[in-house]
Amino acid sequence: MSETSQVSSASSIRRSSASSRRKPKKNQIPYGILVVLFMVVVGVVQARRDPMLGFYWMMGCIFGFILQKSRFCFTASMRDPCITGSTSVTRAVLTAFAITTLMFTAIKYGYHSMGLPIPGMSYVTPISFATAVGGILFGIGMVIAGGCASGTLMRVGEGFIMQMLSLFFFVIGSLVGAAHFGWWKEKFIVHGPSVFLPDVFGWVGAVVVQLFIIACLYKAAILWEEKKMGGNEE
Amino acid sequence: MAEFTLDCLGEACPVPLMKTEKKMSELAVGDVLIVSIDHSCAMKNIPEWARKQGYNVEIEEVDDGEWEVVIEKTK
Repeated sequence: MSETSQVSSASSIRRSSASSRRKPKKNQIPYGILVVLFMVVVGVVQARRDPMLGFYWMMGCIFGFILQKSRFCFTASMRDPCITGSTSVTRAVLTAFAITTLMFTAIKYGYHSMGLPIPGMSYVTPISFATAVGGILFGIGMVIAGGCASGTLMRVGEGFIMQMLSLFFFVIGSLVGAAHFGWWKEKFIVHGPSVFLPDVFGWVGAVVVQLFIIACLYKAAILWEEKKMGGNEE
Repeated sequence: MAEFTLDCLGEACPVPLMKTEKKMSELAVGDVLIVSIDHSCAMKNIPEWARKQGYNVEIEEVDDGEWEVVIEKTK
């Protein structure tokens, strides 16, 4: 990707210690071929046990690859606007939200129009004050840890040791949270209203409202970047 | 023109970027800053920030998963 194109050999910046630390690099392609073979073998073995397991494995590998190559980072999307004013990742996330909105509505409407039960309705959960508190806690945690769930996993895979610590405590935190979740759910979460937008606005209305909100956020992101960084670009 | 180095090895996002931002503000025009990083995200967001500031940026992969970002303060 752009990684290679940015690494230019012809240096236009004069520096005294040019590439002093550059070491001969090992050819990684044989390892890459071995890893791909391993992935295929595991996928085939899992698929023979249960086709869905093979499918999950394949999706996991693809997601990981895209995440690593695109540097798609939910943490950066929320953090960079505050630190540098850059909203390029924020806009990437908003674009992803817009695409998912269309795709999931298409899937759900497809089931609905055929009179079948709509899939994924168990994720329509009550919203309340607890949602906001949880969001703030998660946000603080992910900025300190240097990644959300997917970002942490991706960087552990890259071999960034500090994030292995994040993963370790992420697992511990999840276990503690899972153990207590029933109590929080019973005391706070179930009291909030659960909203499924198509019930409120109709199927078309729900898509329009959601895309409109995303478009407004996108515009706001552009304006924010211009305000925070624009002064330096003369 | 002086040359400065900034060691950000082992630092996760956003620490390298914030350190770079701080260090760049101390540099004089024409100075060069070399930031050592081993966090792949920093390889994206430091050059992005520096280019938006209008500085010259180059990335050099010194080892597998280890980079040097060379930034020239042009103004």
